[in-house]
This record gives sequence, C-alpha cells and structure tokens, in this order.
Amino acid sequence: MSLKNLRGRVAFIFEELDFDVDQIVGVKNIKITDINELADAAMQSYDPDFRAKVKPGDILVGNHNFGYGHPHYPPMRAMRHLGITGMVAESFSPGYWRGEISMGFPQASCPGILGLVQRWDEIELDWQAGVIRNLTRGTELPIEPLALADQRMLEAGGLVPYLKTYS
Amino acid sequence: MGYTIAEKILARAAGLPHVKAGDEVMAKPDFVIAYDFPGYTDVYFKSMKEDFGIERVPDPERYAIFIDHMIPATSPKEEELHIITRNWCAENKVPLFERKGIGHQVAAEVGYATPGAFVVHFDGHVSQLGTFGTLAMGIRRNILEAFVRERISIKVPQTVRVNLRGKLSPGVMARDVFHHLVREMGSASCRFQVLELGGPGVDSLTTEGLQVITGLAMFTGALTAIVNPDKARLDYALPRARIKLDPVYSDEDATYSAVYDIDLDGLEPVVVIPPTPSNTRNLVDYAGLEVQTGYLGSCASGRVEDLRIAAQVLRGRQVKPGFQLNIVPTSQEIMAAAAREGLIEILVEAGAFISSSSCDFCFGRIATMTAGQRAVSTGTLNVRGRMGSPDSEIYLCSAASVAASAIEGAIADPRKYL
Repeated sequence: MSLKNLRGRVAFIFEELDFDVDQIVGVKNIKITDINELADAAMQSYDPDFRAKVKPGDILVGNHNFGYGHPHYPPMRAMRHLGITGMVAESFSPGYWRGEISMGFPQASCPGILGLVQRWDEIELDWQAGVIRNLTRGTELPIEPLALADQRMLEAGGLVPYLKTYS
Repeated sequence: MGYTIAEKILARAAGLPHVKAGDEVMAKPDFVIAYDFPGYTDVYFKSMKEDFGIERVPDPERYAIFIDHMIPATSPKEEELHIITRNWCAENKVPLFERKGIGHQVAAEVGYATPGAFVVHFDGHVSQLGTFGTLAMGIRRNILEAFVRERISIKVPQTVRVNLRGKLSPGVMARDVFHHLVREMGSASCRFQVLELGGPGVDSLTTEGLQVITGLAMFTGALTAIVNPDKARLDYALPRARIKLDPVYSDEDATYSAVYDIDLDGLEPVVVIPPTPSNTRNLVDYAGLEVQTGYLGSCASGRVEDLRIAAQVLRGRQVKPGFQLNIVPTSQEIMAAAAREGLIEILVEAGAFISSSSCDFCFGRIATMTAGQRAVSTGTLNVRGRMGSPDSEIYLCSAASVAASAIEGAIADPRKYL
C-alpha cells in the first residue's frame, strides 16, 4: 500500500448520530460554487471561529453513520479548502463514503474513535499498521480495512486518476 | 451452501460461477442509467471525451438517460443542460426518456427492471427496481466507471433479511411500513448491505407498495433493496423486460448477516419528523399540528394507489382554504391511468393542484415554503431546506395522511376519512 499516513490535530468532533454533512455549510449555502464563499460559510453553526483555528493537516472526527441522508459535495470541498486532510468516524453512511472516496478524500472507519480522542488532540492515521494513534495521549485503536478499489482510488487521488491508472 | 439473490445476480454479472459477500469482483452492469443534472451527467459526458477519449459508448442499449428534473425548464441554463443530454444521447444512440415521468418509476415501466439484472445509477432511489428482483444500486460518482468501462469494481455486499408478516389495516400504507422499518431496525441497520424483503407479508403488499419500500432503502443505510419476485411482479416486469434473463431467487439456506421479523398487523400510520428521515413517530402523537402545505408525489409515492386513497379521503370534501395541496403523479403512465379512473377529477374538485410528472417538487427546485411554515410530504427527504426556507419543516407521511391533513390544515389521521 502506498497510501500516505495522515498526521494532524482533531479539528472538530461531530458527535451527532446520522450526521447530515450539508449542515456543515448550511442548506441555504449548498449551491454556492465559489470556494472561498463556501469556506466562509462552513462550520458557522458549530464554531464560528473554525476558519481561524484550523490548520492544514487537521483531521475531522465523526460519530456513527456519518453522512446519512442525501449528502452533497460542497461541505467537504469547503473543509478541504480550509486544510482538512482526512476524516475518521465510528462508521460512515455508504452514499457519503463513496462520494468522498471518489473525490480522493482519505477516510477511515474506526469503531471507538469517539472514546479515543478529544478535540485538538494530535492523531495519526497509519494505513500500514491499520490504526489511529492518539499521539497526545499515547493510545490507539484499529481501523477497518479499506476495500481494494477504495484503497486504489485514494492512492490514485480520486476517481478519474484511478480510472486512468487501472484501465 | 446457499446464496442470496444479490450474490447470484452479482456472480452472473461478474462472469463467475458464484460469489459470496465480501468478495471484491469486477461486474458488468446490464444497464447503466442516469438522469441529467448539472455537475453530474454533463460532467461525465465531458470527462468521457476529454479524460478517456471515448467518443461513442459501445453497446448503447446498455445505457439509458432520463430527463425528469427541471421539467419544464424555467431558464435558458436549464434548457441548455437538456440540450447537452439530448445531443449526447442522439450521438451515442442511447435511449432517452424525456417528460415521461420520474425516471426510477419510468425505468420500471420501460423495461429496465428486468428480473435478475444488475443495474447501476448515481442516484440511490433506483433501488426501487428491486421490487422486480433487479439488483439496482446508486453508486454516486463511481457511475463514471460504468460509463468508461464495461465492468465496475464492486465488493459483494452482505444481505439483511426482513420477513414481513400479517397484513396492513385500512389507511396504513407501504410508506408507513418503510418508516416503521427504520424505527424498528435503525437508520444504520443495513449499512453497506442489501435489504432483502421476504415473508408472507410481502404478498399482501402491492407492487406499488413494494416500490415505495425498496425505493427508500438508503435510509436504513442499505446499498439497495430487493424482493424475490412473485408472479404479480414477474407479470409486470417480464413482458416489458429489455433483455432476456432468468429470474433468480435466494436459496433457503442463504447466509444473512441479520434477520428481522416485522409484523404488519396492528401497524399504525406514522410521521417522520424533521430534520432527518430517521425520526419516525406515531402519527397520532402529532395529530393537530398545523401545516400549511402538502405534497403528494416523488419517486417514493404518487403512484395510482396513492392517488386512489387520496381521492377516497378527499371525495366530497375540500382542502382547507389557504392550504396548498400539490399532487404530482409519478409518471405520465400513472397520470393517464388516474385520469381514466376518475381520480384526477375528484382531486381537482377537492382543491388539489395537480402538476405533471417531475422530480422538481421533491428535490427542492420548486420550493416555496417560507420560514416558520410546515409541510406534510410524501417526498423522499425531510432535511432542512428541502422544500424552501431552511427554517421551514417537513413531516413525511403516507399519501393518505397528506390528503387527510389537507382537509384539516393540520396533521391528521387518515383512517377517520375512510
């Protein structure tokens, strides 16, 4: 596997079950296409200072069935623009999972993640070892292995480069 | 060792003697279907040409495109998208279905719900073709793989079996059954799996009712839903089928990851309160809550049986003055059948506004609610802003419940009007 490990702070923990990602930017902003405008709208309901606090390399954490509903692409586009490089959740909703993996956005399911980390802890997503490490606290938990196609899509950097690589 | 219907369909599609849940295979979809939508089909068509050098799809009969959103177009930009779609289909000789109704319903009407077939779409509500023993999955942007290659990579999903028992009481509909399933089993109960419906209770449901349940499967986390098709479903699907395949069925000793028994006897009407499709409640607990608008339609409801029960509720009665009842038959075929049966006349005389088949009321293009307003809806989703202002509220319920609520201007139990 040539997937690059991620290392960064936990920028936010979405504790809500069945979290609807559209809420990240708010439904009224979902059709905004300008990435700066979208990024300004992101997280306003959760932490209005998010944009000032987040750093490139930061990682998001979610609860069970993250991405439930009819997820759209703009919320995570906004998050990536702000520097978020990956997402770890207790579990993911399939539609959301597929959509973001096809964008080349690294994500891992990690049962127990909510008990492993607190906001702003430094964590490492180690694909080779198959674990999330909490570097702040010196603890770790296993992640669920990726399906081969998902792994290849992340390695390639998204759906289009994946299809070009494996044609 | 037995196999599920999903495993059998994927084995054939992968050209293998058998596959089991967890296997990662390359499978050839029998049909690749999509509707035109900005950022989706227009992007796929462009990417096919520019990224992959595909000027024409081989085997165009494997593809189908529907124009069912933005119907009728209300801006030059919307019409431009439809032109891109029409041109691509004409150049590629790919069948195009325009203004025939909501694609997931029309797909069944025009033969893509072939029992035993494997179908992919980007939209998850295509799962309703599972009513006819078709394995139909929404795979989001990965549909591009199906546009540029013959086969797609897929991990064979596990299956959750739901055995239905008993029979629905009058005024309780398949829509209530589905939301009851979400409440009983949980919004993640079938996550990344196939929801297979079986048991004697399935026979008491209509084909239209099963289309409702299978079509909403994603709200249990399922990749799709499927039914082992009985005679009624085969009688509908086989004469229309575009390809000849033998229907397949789950073996008695197939392996399921979980089995649920759900009783239809005694089931009451339910309502799904905002802001998520996981919030099923008993309708009686919300009866009397004022609502200003109602929507009966979408790929999840709006079929003849929905219009029939709405007409039964509204016959000789009136929609409450000031309440806006929008009724959208799911397809033109359904609209014509409802007209022949006299249902349209009853609904119009009761004060309903009837609109032609389109996805637009459901996905929020026609979205007129302002802050503080509430709707009862048979649409697919009740998230904030789906029908207008993010500060309005949507209560999902059956067609019968929408009709009853229209009379009272408040959430109402349909059973007292039957």
